[in-house]
Amino acid sequence: MSGRHTGEQHQHTVEGTDPQLYVNVVDPQDDAGLRPVLLLHGFSTSSKLNWEDTGWITALTQAGRRVIAVDLPGHGRSGAPEDRDSYSPSRIRADLLQIAFDAGARPLRDGDPASGLDVIGYSLGSRLAWEFGATQHELVHRLVLGGPNVADPLAAFDLPAAQRYLADGTPIADDSTAGLLKMAQLLPSNNIFALLSLIEAIKDEPFDPAEAVPPMPMLLVAGEKDERAASMPELAALGSKAGALVEQLVLPGRNHTNAVTSRAFKQGAIEFLGV
Amino acid sequence: MAELSFPLPDLGEGLIEATVLEWLVAPGDQVERNQPLVEVETTKSAVELPSPQAGKVVRIHGGPGEKINVGEPLIVFEVPDDTAGIVGTVPKEEAPKRRVRLSAVLDED
Repeated sequence: MSGRHTGEQHQHTVEGTDPQLYVNVVDPQDDAGLRPVLLLHGFSTSSKLNWEDTGWITALTQAGRRVIAVDLPGHGRSGAPEDRDSYSPSRIRADLLQIAFDAGARPLRDGDPASGLDVIGYSLGSRLAWEFGATQHELVHRLVLGGPNVADPLAAFDLPAAQRYLADGTPIADDSTAGLLKMAQLLPSNNIFALLSLIEAIKDEPFDPAEAVPPMPMLLVAGEKDERAASMPELAALGSKAGALVEQLVLPGRNHTNAVTSRAFKQGAIEFLGV
Repeated sequence: MAELSFPLPDLGEGLIEATVLEWLVAPGDQVERNQPLVEVETTKSAVELPSPQAGKVVRIHGGPGEKINVGEPLIVFEVPDDTAGIVGTVPKEEAPKRRVRLSAVLDED
């Protein structure tokens, strides 16, 4: 693999403070001459677990695509800033825009296949990609949204219960909250307090896909055994209503955790973005 | 020709087993080094394992949904005799990476 800029930090900060986001830009050996692809991972994972170990970065670079993978705040190799503002979805989107430009993405120009940016998200990353596409239509060319939610499961997280549990072991009554916290604690690279800050910020800005709808073509992908597959047509209807070309792909036998390695998912995304 | 067997590698973080999701190669296939071989899932995440070896696939172990323990056979390749002689000396990549890498079992003949 040539031209791998591991750990490149973005050079400009938005709104004064450095969000300490880890950015990994990987150049293909044989460049297809197409726009770069921004990868946004899910809650409680990282660009390494979500995109690298699953074979996505290899598959994309072998297809000639330049990849920009970002670790969300408090995740993977990114920092865990103390201020709550660093975790708000709107602030993260502003930082992503700056990162994309610093990594060489340029606004879409008619007839220039190297202009613009394609975005692939998974789960929480798909929420961010949806909103990013809706607000950055001069930059974003196409979207691939994996395991997409119609509402934010994190918005219902019982934060006080999680904090009590972490402080003195008081059991958490809500199963969803207990499950999410257990998942967050499985990975040693997670900063648990940073993840709680992210949840707090998401509760302040819960996902409302109808509020702003991306107008560009989008591919929605979910595992057949992921409950999100059932609600995917709702997102598709929102996109279609806004005039976007929407395709859907359901991966047989897969759930929310193991859909991400699927060959059919990768091939579907590469073909959908290869125009 | 000789056979060269690779076990399920240590996937880190104290994981002792993985479940096969889907094989991306089949017996008889000629594969390149680093070509994706199989998707497996642990209790923490799903990963795609790249081939540690170029060669013809002779056997694969574990169908979709089956568990394999770390260290148990995963895949067997057919390789020229002279290649089998240098088992275990898989060439290094340009930069060290924390990527899962299969390693050879030496007791196969």
